Parts: sequence; structure tokens; C-alpha cells
Amino acid sequence: MKTLKALSALLAYPSPELQQAIPDIRDLLASEGVLDTRARNALAPLLERLASTDIYEAQEAYILLFDRSRSLSLHLFEHVHGESRDRGQAMVDLLTLYEEAGFTIAANELPDFVPLFLEYCATRPSAEACGLLSQPAHIFVSLAERLQKRESDYAPIFSILVALASEKPQAEAFEAILPDGEEDPNDLEALDAIWEEEEVLFGPGAANEDCGVDSLAAKLRQARRPAPGLETPQMLGPRTEIVHRQRNPSAGPTAR
Amino acid sequence: MSHFLDRLSYLREKVQTFSDGHGITTNENRAWEDSYRKRWQHDKVVRSTHGVNCTGSCSWKVYVKGGIVTWETQQTDYPRTRPDLPNHEPRGCSRGASYSWYLYSANRVKYPLVRSRLVKLWREARATMTPVAAWKSIVEDPQKRDAYTKKRGLGGFVRAGWEEVNEMIASANAYTVKTHGPDRVIGFSPIPAMSMVSYAAGSRYLSLMGGVCMSFYDWYCDLPPSSPQTWGEQTDVPESADWYNSGFLILWGSNVPQTRTPDAHFYTEVRYRGAKSVVICPDYSEASKFADLWVSVKQGTDAALGMAMGHVILKEFHVDRQVDYFTDYVKRYTDMPMLVRLVRDDKGNLIPERFLRASDMDKKLGEKNNPEWKTLAIDAPTGEIVVPNGSVGFRWGETGKWNLDAKRADGKAVDLRLSLAGAEDGFEDVAFPYFGNLQHEHFTSTEHDSVLARRIPVKKVQTAEGEMLVATVYDLFLANYGVDRGFGGDNVAKSFDDDAPYSPAWAEKITGVPRDQIITVAREFALNAEKTNGRSMIIIGAAMNHWYHMDMNYRSAINMLVMCGCVGQSGGGWSHYVGQEKLRPQSGWLPLAFGLDWGRPPRQQNSTSFFYAHTDQWRYETMEVKDILSPTAPAGPWDGAIIDYNIRAERMGWLPSAPQLETNPLEVARAAEAAGMEAKDYVAKGLKDGDLKLSCEDPDNPKNWPRNLFVWRSNLLGSSGKGHEYFLKHLLGTSHGVLGKDLGPEGKTRAKDVVWHEKAPEGKLDLLVTLDFRMSTTAVYSDIVLPTATWYEKNDLNTSDMHPFIHPLTAAVDPIWESRSDWDIYKGLARAFSDVAPEVLGVEKDVVLTPILHDTPGEIAQPFDVKDWKTGDIEPIPGKTMPQVTVVERDYPNLYKRFTALGPLMEKIGNGGKGMAWNTEHEVELLRELNGTVTEEGPTKGMAKIETAIDACEVLLMLAPETNGEVAVKAWESLAKFTGREHAHLALPKEDEKIRFRDVVAQPRKIISSPIWSGLESEKVCYNAGYTNVHEFIPWRTLTGRQQLYQDHLWMRAFGEGLCVYRPPVDLRTIKPAQGSVGSNGEKEVVLNFITPHQKWGIHSTYTDNLLMLTLSRGGPCVWISERDARQAGIVDNDWIELYNVNGAISARAVVSQRVKEGMCMMYHAQEKIVNTPGSEITGQRGGIHNSVTRAILKPTHMIGGYAQLSYGFNYYGTVGANRDEFVVVRKMARVDWMDDEADPQSNQAPQAAE
Repeated sequence: MKTLKALSALLAYPSPELQQAIPDIRDLLASEGVLDTRARNALAPLLERLASTDIYEAQEAYILLFDRSRSLSLHLFEHVHGESRDRGQAMVDLLTLYEEAGFTIAANELPDFVPLFLEYCATRPSAEACGLLSQPAHIFVSLAERLQKRESDYAPIFSILVALASEKPQAEAFEAILPDGEEDPNDLEALDAIWEEEEVLFGPGAANEDCGVDSLAAKLRQARRPAPGLETPQMLGPRTEIVHRQRNPSAGPTAR
Repeated sequence: MSHFLDRLSYLREKVQTFSDGHGITTNENRAWEDSYRKRWQHDKVVRSTHGVNCTGSCSWKVYVKGGIVTWETQQTDYPRTRPDLPNHEPRGCSRGASYSWYLYSANRVKYPLVRSRLVKLWREARATMTPVAAWKSIVEDPQKRDAYTKKRGLGGFVRAGWEEVNEMIASANAYTVKTHGPDRVIGFSPIPAMSMVSYAAGSRYLSLMGGVCMSFYDWYCDLPPSSPQTWGEQTDVPESADWYNSGFLILWGSNVPQTRTPDAHFYTEVRYRGAKSVVICPDYSEASKFADLWVSVKQGTDAALGMAMGHVILKEFHVDRQVDYFTDYVKRYTDMPMLVRLVRDDKGNLIPERFLRASDMDKKLGEKNNPEWKTLAIDAPTGEIVVPNGSVGFRWGETGKWNLDAKRADGKAVDLRLSLAGAEDGFEDVAFPYFGNLQHEHFTSTEHDSVLARRIPVKKVQTAEGEMLVATVYDLFLANYGVDRGFGGDNVAKSFDDDAPYSPAWAEKITGVPRDQIITVAREFALNAEKTNGRSMIIIGAAMNHWYHMDMNYRSAINMLVMCGCVGQSGGGWSHYVGQEKLRPQSGWLPLAFGLDWGRPPRQQNSTSFFYAHTDQWRYETMEVKDILSPTAPAGPWDGAIIDYNIRAERMGWLPSAPQLETNPLEVARAAEAAGMEAKDYVAKGLKDGDLKLSCEDPDNPKNWPRNLFVWRSNLLGSSGKGHEYFLKHLLGTSHGVLGKDLGPEGKTRAKDVVWHEKAPEGKLDLLVTLDFRMSTTAVYSDIVLPTATWYEKNDLNTSDMHPFIHPLTAAVDPIWESRSDWDIYKGLARAFSDVAPEVLGVEKDVVLTPILHDTPGEIAQPFDVKDWKTGDIEPIPGKTMPQVTVVERDYPNLYKRFTALGPLMEKIGNGGKGMAWNTEHEVELLRELNGTVTEEGPTKGMAKIETAIDACEVLLMLAPETNGEVAVKAWESLAKFTGREHAHLALPKEDEKIRFRDVVAQPRKIISSPIWSGLESEKVCYNAGYTNVHEFIPWRTLTGRQQLYQDHLWMRAFGEGLCVYRPPVDLRTIKPAQGSVGSNGEKEVVLNFITPHQKWGIHSTYTDNLLMLTLSRGGPCVWISERDARQAGIVDNDWIELYNVNGAISARAVVSQRVKEGMCMMYHAQEKIVNTPGSEITGQRGGIHNSVTRAILKPTHMIGGYAQLSYGFNYYGTVGANRDEFVVVRKMARVDWMDDEADPQSNQAPQAAE
């Protein structure tokens, strides 16, 4: 599926070479026919922008999105493992997958870098590639949403990847994804989620979650709450109003 | 029938059940276990550590699997200690354990980044021009320069290749050297001990160019100037294991379990052994939980507490009852027996003046060599005035008498008299300054007079000037404490309940500590020292050193230790574990780091004075000289602004200057040659005539701007930049949050020596380059960001003051993405520089100005009065009355070759440290064999190679006495010439030991005892500072050669610090003007003292943006306030609050806690504005950092130079960046703005830093 190679190229750091290759990419996407017209139309603004804007602007924008915003990282495990120890093992496993197929990593990159992963998928037969895509599909869904929120023309790439995946992500898969930080403060839900206390569960199945970063934090916060009966400072007047300057006033702020 | 043949002889059937059916053997698949096995499998384990500026220095095992770092665990293979002493391990805390992820973090800088506007201009220019010409065309065009400098901190980076960025930076450097001078290329990097080769890489590059390396220890305000003042040593402390030898421990403003986590176990263990623990700390800190007694002192009044405890000790252990051990100790090891002249001032007060010197006496008491620098005492049995051995006059110009033997210069034994009582010629009332009556809105003051007369015994002495009154330091010292000795007179405390300075009753009012606590702690502290010969210890923290009058806090504690004979005794002494992180193989490292193998001296600058001048904080100075001048100050020109004192200090050769002269130093060399004069004569004449001007006199003149700044291993702007907003405004020239106005016309009238420009410059730097592995605040504001290798990706060395081991950082994996080790980055820059330099530079002569340096024969330059050549009082004489002038040859086209080879001066001149010198020919020869020699033709052919970071490690290990026993023996022998005593026995057993890089990779190694440090590493004692002074009779490197409790320099006396006194925090006047100009947001306001301690959820001051740490803390900037203050301001826990004063504003969440003392708030150090920081309502800029509300203020006493221990040394003495006297207005935010709009190019209100 050369289409995946094309998508991989589009997600790489913009270079003059990529700019020149845009017509080829356009042709390939049309000729290979993996993507329907709607999907291709969705990609058009990105292709158009990459082909026509000043390379420096394209690069600045890319760095701002993918290198500087943690929640948009192009490293898959950043989203599911974050800082946890499991990340190292996950990368080792992914590396083994490439090696079993006879590839080694030539670039100075990590195995979970999305363009690298897509390039690998592109070397596989379609059915296998679509199967591979379904594994991180939940991450792609999140990335697509986050990019849409930022009105980025990179968003359709991830929607397309989700569409290509042979299986749609299960609802519970999303629970593994780390919240969208506070880097996008428009998202009040995500902002609150960080401060939310989790219910402490006992019994089978609870153990896995118990050592997660977030649940540990919640427990620590829980432990800090004063014991019943202790005097606590009373709420004084209304809470501070949190305002976000919105691009879209209809999704306006909520006072709390 | 027999079953013989049915029975199996050799086999047994596998039984299905066993143990009466309780057990069963099955055959099912156990492959599931593999996932567990696999989880903990690894390909290799590599030893490394975290080269962060934390004293921990813990060795770690880094596990690598499939080329990927997967986790780390603590190393447990430290060499054992001796029996009855706990071992050092485990070392390493949860913060270190969370590090492995950082390698792969989304926060990492992966590629060299350049501001796109700059790289665009560069490529355009470079298309038609040579490199240096291209850079020139950009920075000399104001429009082009503004195009990128005004965008600093506002995003806009693109990636670039190494070749391209190296060429850009090298061209900028070459252009700057050629156009403005090498002293306009500046580099800042802190704490070399933590990754010494990475530090050395940059400093070597800069030093070979003639660039300037900036100090950090003083700038961080971790340097306690009281240490050089008292001991002539930067900071020397017991290792943490020595806590275990103590019987009484005071933790004073130090939060050991939180900030010295891997060492805290020694503290826990010694308590099980019976040691008593007292914790002095305003808040209920983690350390307070260790305490048998928690003393909650009002923040900033520690000196009052220390003075009162000293009062109790003196009264009960020196006056009412004498303890032989204490008396013998102070007689031999302190300046207490020394004689001080007493003179009348114009008001008729008798004031202690300087030490009586041999030169004051008839025939100079027979002293031909340096009689001005030999202090005098009275021999008790004979009553004669004698010259005891050991004062600084004996250190230079003669040999054999610089020691603490109880002898006089003529070799006769002496028994020095401590007090003149009993041998006095009379009693006199002597005047002491008192500052505790200064009014401060937030601190208690008393009604006592500003001048307190106290009666002491005196003696009349015939001097060359006629008859003079003298007193011993001992008598002055006791009088200063207000101790009643029965001599009559006023201002002494009749009892501990008498409210006279410095009685416990007096201190109770000021510090809020009940007097019985003060008495108990002092009494038990001294009693323990009496019973154990000095095993009482004070562990002291930066908390006390960050106040403007930190010297008083510290000296009050040091005095307690000295009067009880604790310094230099196992389990006793002064333990200041802040920010210096002892670079143990220092003297081997210096040549590598500062290019001393190629040219000497290097350019080194004290950062506090530099940043004060060049971020224009001086223009906003609200403190005046009269605010801090002593009521007993001798007549003198105590006029001008604070910066004027710094200028005078630079002029008189006390402090360094960078840039040094308005004229390019390469031009100065040329002009001197043309004039047929030696450079030093040319400079002296030029300064006198006015043809040459010192840069410090006009820091805002473009001729004097620093032009290129390198920052590496540091987050200067996000963490240590006191006066952060002033950095942004004046040094960087970008959006800033400075709220106050500069002094304007008033500044002009106040300034005497400095040139005042109506409008201050904005954007002095042409280029800011940061090397980091993370996108720190400094990186965000830089023009070029270079991705460095992390601590698991490079080879380096690491030592600490907390333990005696040297151990490495090693590369577990290669640097990922495009990152490179600091060594390789600077090596690359050196190569690029050598390629571009010939366009404008060849072999050049560089005229280097250096101040009069400590531990050199020149340190005894100005024995008596302060004379400024500018006023015509005296001639400018280089190295005597003005800076030293030296010509150094720079071979710019061969800079790379010089960088990668060990130069000829190591064989020609040798090496040394702290005044000692030794030959290194053998070591250089061994290095040739070990590292190989340069085979390429050229100026370095045949020299030892320094190609790799490991080569560099070998160089410093081979040259340092601490890691090469042969050198240690040479060093001790060198010292023996000074002292006339034999010391080599301390290293002879280890003479054959040579510690090499691979040795420390195999296991941490204990360093070898060397005279560079004052403690021993032996099988019998733990490292303890001052140990060799006490036990080997080596003098302290002070004027008197003893622990010096009386500071007799004119400026010390003028500013009231001859002896230790209590001085309340200074009023910085930063609240009212801000409250006037900042409108109300409808919320209540409260004014609180602003304290910035080190935190639990950050890797020291390096980073906190690790999700684990953010999650465990509040996940963003937070400020701790007390419940009462919170209630008063209507703030509840977790509210968004804003803190402001004239310096700037911070937005953060409130943590409301009972733990915090009323009247103060705490913001943990180094919370950056890159995570979770909303915009400030007041400045309209993003949040601000903890330094947004601070501004550095200088203290004139820290500028003193040319005076024995009060002489400049890099990171040794100099102005310090105090910041705790600051107050802030705290209020709830009415509106939290996340600033997530697109940047409006027309507006200044751009989303800044955090993107």
C-alpha cells in the first residue's frame, strides 16, 4: 500500500523535497485508489499548503504542533505509556516486529515514530497493513480529534488511518490514552480530568490500574484530604472564574 | 514369587501426587511465565548517574534492552566504610529513578533548532557571502537584527543541520572577536562537579578563544561569603557519613530528607546512636520531623537567634566557667588572641580598627618580609608583643613558618594571651554598631541605640604612629555579644532575661523563639562539644544564605562552632551543602577546562555583578548606600549608587570585568606594540590618561555590550536568573513583565561613577545559544538550541561534597535523534571556528585583565587603606592597585587543534592549586602513552591527544592529586615547603594508585587525600573540613592564618560587619510603587515574604516537567501560604492566585497549609512557565517564574579584593544574588486566561514561551 508511504511522508518534517513531491503524492493517492474521493478531498488542504507555503512557515508550524506539544507527539507510546517503565519494553517489542520482517531502523528515530510505523505498514500486504493499523487506532482517533480541535490540516491523515484500520478501536482502549494535558485549554473536560479523583476499586482487575500514574496520584490527593471532623477553611465566595479566549464563541466558557 | 524383576532399580515413576496428596505435579504449559522473565531481561547494565546540580551524586545501574534504555536501579557497590560506620548505599532517590523516560520524552530537543527568521536571513546572506561577512551583514543591519531578537521567546523554530548551525555560531563568534573583542563572547554553565567534562568542553572552547566563563556559585547565592571571610576557602564541608560521628546536630534552614535524600539515612542512623537533633526552620518542613526540638524561627532573623545562642555559650562556657578544650582551641586556631587597634572617630567614640601589624612596630619586630601582613599577639608568660607564625605574611616570600605551631617568628615557643583582663593598662568603652533598631514593616525592631558602648580591657602600645590603644579580638568578640564579664559599663545583659542585645530575652522578641528554647539548645550544643571535644555540628542550608545579610546568619552559626572547638573535628563543624558539589579532582580539571595548557590566565567573571550591570537591574536599584552603612563607619566617600561600588572594585583590581575595556583587547595589544610599550604599562597609562576606558563604567554603551552568550547545562532564564523580567527586557530585548520604572532622573543624580543613559538599551545580545536536552525556558528564549546527549548517553565524571567517591557517567546508548554530547558539540564548534576564523583572524595577541587573585602571591596587595587611582590618591599599578594585565597569544585558525591536544604549558610551567605548584612532566608523558599522540603535522604534533570525552577524563584524572597518588605526594611536598612541616605521609601509602576512567566505570573509587582540600580520606576518619588545619597545623588561608572572626578591612568596618551582628532584612521598596500602579481586581490583597526553597518534586533546580513529578505535586506552578494569610485574602486551597511587586508578576495555584508560617509564602525553585501557566492579569504575559518578582542586589563587602582571603577567586568570593528579602502582594485572580489565541503580530500580548 504505497498510500501509507505517502501518508508517512506527509507526516515527516516538511522539506523542500517533500514540497516537490506533492504532485506525485496527489497522483499516487488517486491512482492507487485506496482512498475514496472524500478522503482525498480531506487531504487536499494539507497538500495544497505544503506545496505552496514558505518552507520555513511549514516547518515552524510542524515543530509547534508535533515537537513542542506533548499531546500531539508523533511517538505512539508517548500517548499510552507516557513516563511509565512499560514504554521501554513496548519499544523493544515493536522493534522486534520490524526485525522479524527483515528490517532494521536506519534513521535515528524510535520504533514508535508514526511515519516510521507507517512506512513499515506500507511494506506489508494490504490485509496485514490494515491489521497493523488497527492496533494503535485508538491513538489515531485521539490524535485526529486533538488536531481537529486545533483546526490543523494534519487531522485528516489520522482519520484516514482509522478508516483504513481493519478493526475499529474498542471503547475501553481509549482509557489507556493519557489525557490531552492542559496544552489545549479549550478542553475543559480534559483539564478537569487531571484534577479528578478516581474511585478506588478493589477486587479482580483493579490491580492493573492501581499502579497507574493517575490512580496513584489520585490516591495521594485523597490521602491529603483532611480527615472528617477536622476544621477546614470554608469556601469563600465564588470560585475563580476560568475564561478561555475562544475562537468559536458558541463553545463558550462555563463559569464554575 | 519375588518382585525383584518388577522393581525398578534405576528409574522411578513420576508420582502424580506427593505429601499425602497435598501436592500434585502437573505438566501444563508454563510459557506465561516468560512474559515476566522477558520484562526483566536486559542486554546490558551500564553505570551512569544524573549530572544534575544536586549533591546526591548517586551511581545508577541503567538497563538497556535492544538498544533502548528501559529502566534504572540504584548501584549498590560502593566501597565499604570501616566497621561501626554505616555504608553509603543505597544512594539515589525517586526523582533519579524517574529519569530513564526523559530520554524518549516528547519534551526532548531532538534536532538543532534555529529561529526561522534568523536562518532565513543567514541562508540569504550566505548565498553570496563568506561566513563571517554573512553574519556581519545581519547583525549590523538593525532591521535584520530586530527581526529575530524581538521574537525571542515567541516560538518560530525550525530544524537545521549541525554543519549549518556550527558555521553560524562560529561565524558569530569570529565576528564578535574581531569586531568587539573576545571578552564579548560569554558562556554560562554551573556546577562542573556533576559532569565535569561537559562543563570543560564549553569552557575550553571559550577560554581558547579568549571568551569569558561566568561563575555560578555566587550567582545562585549558594556561595556563603562568610566561608572565604572566615577560612579563606570557598566552601569545605564534612561528608554526610561524618554526621554519624556527631553527638549533637542542628539542622538550620536545611531540609535534609527532601533535598539531600540519599544522605538522610546517616542522620536517621546517628539518632539511633543517641545524637540529639534540633531543627531550626520557620515552616514545619520534612526535616522538622527529625527533630527532638523544632525551633520555629521568624524567617530572616536567624542571626538574632545565633547571636543569642552564642551569648549563652560565651557566658556559661567562657566567662562563668572556662572549658580548657575551648580555651586552647580558640587560642590556637582562631584570631581571638590577635591585637586590634582602637581609634577615636570624629564623634569621640572608640572604634575597633584594623589588626595591629608588625610594620606598625618599632623595627617591624625584626620582620623584613611582608611586615604589613603579619598580625600580632601578646605572649602570656613574657607579656611581649610577638609575631606568631602562620599569618599570610609568612605564606608568601619566605618558607617554613606558615604554620600553626605555637611559635613566634624567631622560633621561640609562645602561649598567646586571649584576654587582656589581668594584664590591661585600663578599661575603655568601645563602640559597636547596632542595626536591630532599624524599622521594617514586617520585622520586629527594638529601641536600643545605633551605637552601643561596651567596656573592655585595653593595652597601650608604642607604634610607629605613636601610642595606640589595642584590644584582643577575644575581648572585642565577647563585648560584641553583650556578655557581662564584670567590667562594668552599659549594654551588657545582667541575665538571660535582661533585654539587652544579644540576650535570649532580646532574641525572643525578634525571632519569636521562646528564650528557654534558645538557652537549652545553646547549652546542650556546647555541653556536647565539651564532652566530646567538638562533636557538635550545624548542617546549614541555602535558606539562610539567600538573605541580603547572609553573612550575619552564617557567621553567627560559625561563631558558635568555633567557640566550642567544633571546626576540624570529626562529627563537628559547619556543613553547608549548597550548590558547590565539590569538584574533587579540581586541580587536574582546571587546565582542561580553562585551556591552561595553552594560555594563562583565563577570563572568568563573577556573574552577579555582570548580570546586575548588563540586565540593567542597577537602573532600578531602590536600596541606597545609607541604608546599609554602619553608624560607626569611618569617614570616607560613602556616596554614589551601589553599582558605583562595584565599578570602584573593578577599577582597583578587586573584582573581574567583562567586557573589560571599551576597546577590543586585540586592538589594545596592537596599539601597545605600536607605541613600543609593554601591555601592562600601556593599559595603566591609558587608564590614567583616559585614552582607555573600563567597560564597567558604562554598561549601556553598545561598545560594552556582551554580544554572544552560550548557556549549557543550565536553565539560566527558567531557574537561576534573578530579575528574570530584566533579563528579558534588557539583555534579550523581547516581551517582558517588568512593572516598575527605572530611577530616571534620580538615577542620574545618584550615580557617581556609572554613565547614565536616558534610555536603557533593550536587546544587548546578538546571539543566544543554549545546549540542552529539554526545551527549557532558556531554550525557548534562545536563537539557536543545540540538542545535547542526556546523562545516559555520554561519558563523563561526577563527584560531590556529600561522599568521597568519584564515579562516571557512561553512554548506555548512543545519543538519539540528532543529539550530541557537550564535548562533541564544542569540539564541532571548535572545528567550525577554525574553518571560518581565517577570514578575519590569525594568530593574535590578546590583552587580558584579571583581578588580584586569592591564593597567589599577589593577594597581599593593599594592606591598609582603600586607595582608588581614579581619584589620584595613588598611581595605577597593575596587580597592585588595579587589575593585573597579561598578554596571551591566541591561535584562532588552530583553535580546533589546540582544543584536541594537551598543550605545552603543562610541561613548561607545571600545575598546581590553592597556592601550591608542582611539576607534571611525568603525568604528561603518561598521557601521551595512554591517549596517544597527535600524528598530524601542525602545532600540536607529538602532544597527547584529547579527542574524546574519555580522553578528557583521563587528562584530568592523571593530573589531579585526588586521583593520582604520585601527584598527591608532590602536592603535599609542595605544601611542606610553605609550612616547614612534613605532610607527605598522608598520601605516601597511595603513591602508586592511579585512578583511571575504566576503574571508576568498574566501581566508584574513593579519592586520595590531597592538600587542595582540608579534610582527609583515610581508614580512620571521615572527610571533615578543617581537619588538616587542626591536626596537621596547616594555617587557614586568611590574613591571620587562623579562623578569622574579626574582619578588619575598611569596607567591612564601614558596613558594620567587622564582627557578627544581627541585621534585619533590607526593605527593598518593591511593594508600594507596584500597589500604586497595579489596579485592583476586586480581590483582597495580602503582603507576604517571598521564599524560594528547593523542592521535592523536581530534579533539584533542573526540571519538574516530568509527568510523574507534576502528578505527585500540583501539576504546575504553586505557592504555599499559611491558613491565616489565606483566610485574610479570601483564598482557598487550589485557587489561582497572583503574586506581584515592581519586578514582575507570577500566576500560580495556592497551596494552603498549616505547615507554612504566617507572613511568608513559599514557591519552590525552578517551576517553569512552560507547563500549566496561565497569563498574568497584571503583565499580560505568560505567568512568570519564581524569579519574576526578584531582583539581584549587591553588597559592597562582597566586592572587597586584594586583601588576603578577601581577594577574588572564581566561584570563591564576589557579589552574590540574594533574593529572600523580597516581599510580594498576593491576591486571588479574578480571571484565568490561558492565552491560547493565535499570536497577534501587532500586539505585545503574544502567547509566550508555553505553546
